[in-house]
Amino acid sequence: MSPVRVRRWLVLASACALGALALMAWQLFDPTVWPVMVAMSLGQVLGTASLAVFVYVFVADFRGRQRGEGDSNKTTE
Amino acid sequence: MTVLSSPLALIEVACAVLSAAILIAYIVFRPPLVHATKLWLLLGLGVFPIGAAFSGNVQGFEATKKREFCGSCHVMALHEADSDDRTSGSLASRHARNAMFGGENCYACHANYGMFGTVLTKAGGMRHVWLYLTEYRKTPIEEAKKTIRLQDPAEMNDNCMLCHSTQDPLWLKVPDHRALLEEERIGRVGCASEGCHGLAHPFFRGPDTPAAGAKP
Repeated sequence: MSPVRVRRWLVLASACALGALALMAWQLFDPTVWPVMVAMSLGQVLGTASLAVFVYVFVADFRGRQRGEGDSNKTTE
Repeated sequence: MTVLSSPLALIEVACAVLSAAILIAYIVFRPPLVHATKLWLLLGLGVFPIGAAFSGNVQGFEATKKREFCGSCHVMALHEADSDDRTSGSLASRHARNAMFGGENCYACHANYGMFGTVLTKAGGMRHVWLYLTEYRKTPIEEAKKTIRLQDPAEMNDNCMLCHSTQDPLWLKVPDHRALLEEERIGRVGCASEGCHGLAHPFFRGPDTPAAGAKP
């Protein structure tokens, strides 16, 4: 994964997580039906999605680095 | 700010603030993905949001027990107002004035009993949200008063008996209680009925009233 794509995914994940955190904070200050329901549904989905994107980027970056190291070892041999 | 008096609320706010600071810093500065950046992002996207979600969920579940929460759907506004009214003589209001119920009197009287009581109550609450969204969202209060009723009125006695045990000698001293013991236990005679302790809410339709095609 190119550094530009990595950055784009991580900015998206950060924005999702900020949205989730805002929803979770909203239900704290206005504990009525809709804020609580939205925080516990949409907030959870956004938060989980952001973490999933981070894990995906982390794994893709790790595998990319491993592949790069393998290629450089072959070139040296 | 009273909302931050709970330790869970403080944990949620602290986690949310720390996470937001890390994420905003990442969006603004966009550093290269080195080890330190990954570690900070793990905190900002993983550890702190999970902490905020966990404490927020517990806080949210606690909020669903409060009377303000139940009253935030407009069709329950009259019930909430009656419970808040310290001069009202309704069963709901009298229980709201009891320190053991207080602000959670709706939940205390309407929650299911038993091992899975909380889960069943929350599932029932989701059903209420669904019905509100699909049927009652635009229903005027005057119409709601005529149509909203309990799904299973016979079960309400069980909740009364959680505190008012039918084996308590004081309770059994009342001749009417003793005479109707079995009917009360199986819910055939409602504790909260006009012939006994009066309706729980002044606007409540008793179980004997025709349903008029309405859903609970």
